[in-house]
Amino acid sequence: MSGRAIVITSGKGGVGKTTATANLGLGLARHDRKVVLIDGDIGLRNLDIIMGLENRIVYHLVDVVRGRCQVRQALVKDKRFPHLALLPASQIDQKEAISPEQMRELAAQLKEDFDFVLIDCPAGIEQGFRNAVAGADEAIVITTPDVSPVRDADRVIGLLQNSLGDPQLIINRMSTQMVQRGDMLDQQDVLDILAVNLLGIVPEDEEVVVAGNRGSPVVLNEKSQSGQAYGRIVRRILGEDVPIPELNGHGGIFHRLGKLFSRR
Amino acid sequence: MAWGTFVQRLLGNKGSAGLAKDRLQVVVMYDRLGLSPEQMAALRKDIMETISRHVAIDSERVKIDFLPTPAEVTITAPVRRGRTRGEEPKQQAG
Ligand SMILES: Nc1ncnc2c1ncn2[C@@H]1O[C@H](COP(=O)(O)OP(=O)(O)O)[C@@H](O)[C@H]1O
Ligand SMILES: [Mg+2]
Repeated sequence: MSGRAIVITSGKGGVGKTTATANLGLGLARHDRKVVLIDGDIGLRNLDIIMGLENRIVYHLVDVVRGRCQVRQALVKDKRFPHLALLPASQIDQKEAISPEQMRELAAQLKEDFDFVLIDCPAGIEQGFRNAVAGADEAIVITTPDVSPVRDADRVIGLLQNSLGDPQLIINRMSTQMVQRGDMLDQQDVLDILAVNLLGIVPEDEEVVVAGNRGSPVVLNEKSQSGQAYGRIVRRILGEDVPIPELNGHGGIFHRLGKLFSRR
Repeated sequence: MAWGTFVQRLLGNKGSAGLAKDRLQVVVMYDRLGLSPEQMAALRKDIMETISRHVAIDSERVKIDFLPTPAEVTITAPVRRGRTRGEEPKQQAG
């Protein structure tokens, strides 16, 4: 087997990379794909918490790279899907504890056993970023519709184009109300600037926080808007042609006009 | 621009999104070029000098635009009439 290794990256921190990695991983696993998630954020491990797997960690990425254990010993099996696994980050090492070359070898090895290798990239564009990207064949860039994250996304897209080619874009934390008020960049504004292919839009949703508290990512919650958005993104990754819907689901022009006038 | 945004702007509610986009376009353009504002000014001066060496241009009206997407540089330099390369400007008689 030769799976797809995808890095989830952003430049800017706190825009939703780890959340996206967890949700895409679970979503792909739900479609019966064999998936492994690599927490590339050495020193600031997070993905285990979001996935609800923090109590099962024995070994981590740096242990594997240093030969202190076998890869399969370090893989934490998901509670919900037996064919989904997490390779946790070390909490005590530095980004420099591994090299891009080692990451490349590790990803190549994992691709033999898994359909998807998703790599959660740390913030920044230094060594941790280079390591995470080195293991990947494709990239997903995530941004929120704010000035600084879009600027950083542009920088990262430029860097990625030199190695992996054009990445796909996820716009996270979009708020329909703010867009309609004219106080948030909308999807077209973001695409005008970044000029890459849009993979999906995830709305601002309190359920993401609840999901984080529970260790049960939103994609598992069919009722949540953000969970549904991640579900659609997963299908697009699998090659399905799923249209990107209006954010509020009932946002026809007349509806919006009606809302506008009733507000005045 | 979404319809909602468009309608808002028609109604005169500007919001901050337009400003955000304008600022982003400028900042992203400089990021992509990897040039500081000082380097940009130097580039502008060099371009004007180079063109003026061959063609008489109206230096007041030279425009150098860096367009972000797709990235391109356009230079607009109005050429003055009545003078070709290598010739001295002729005085109009009368
Ligand atoms: N769609 C969303 N709606 C609301 N909050 C979100 C959303 N996506 C992410 N968040 C919150 O943003 C914060 C940062 O997310 P995280 O995935 O850790 O970002 P990163 O890995 O890029 O640093 C978290 O507290 C998370 O709950
Ligand atoms: Mg993270």
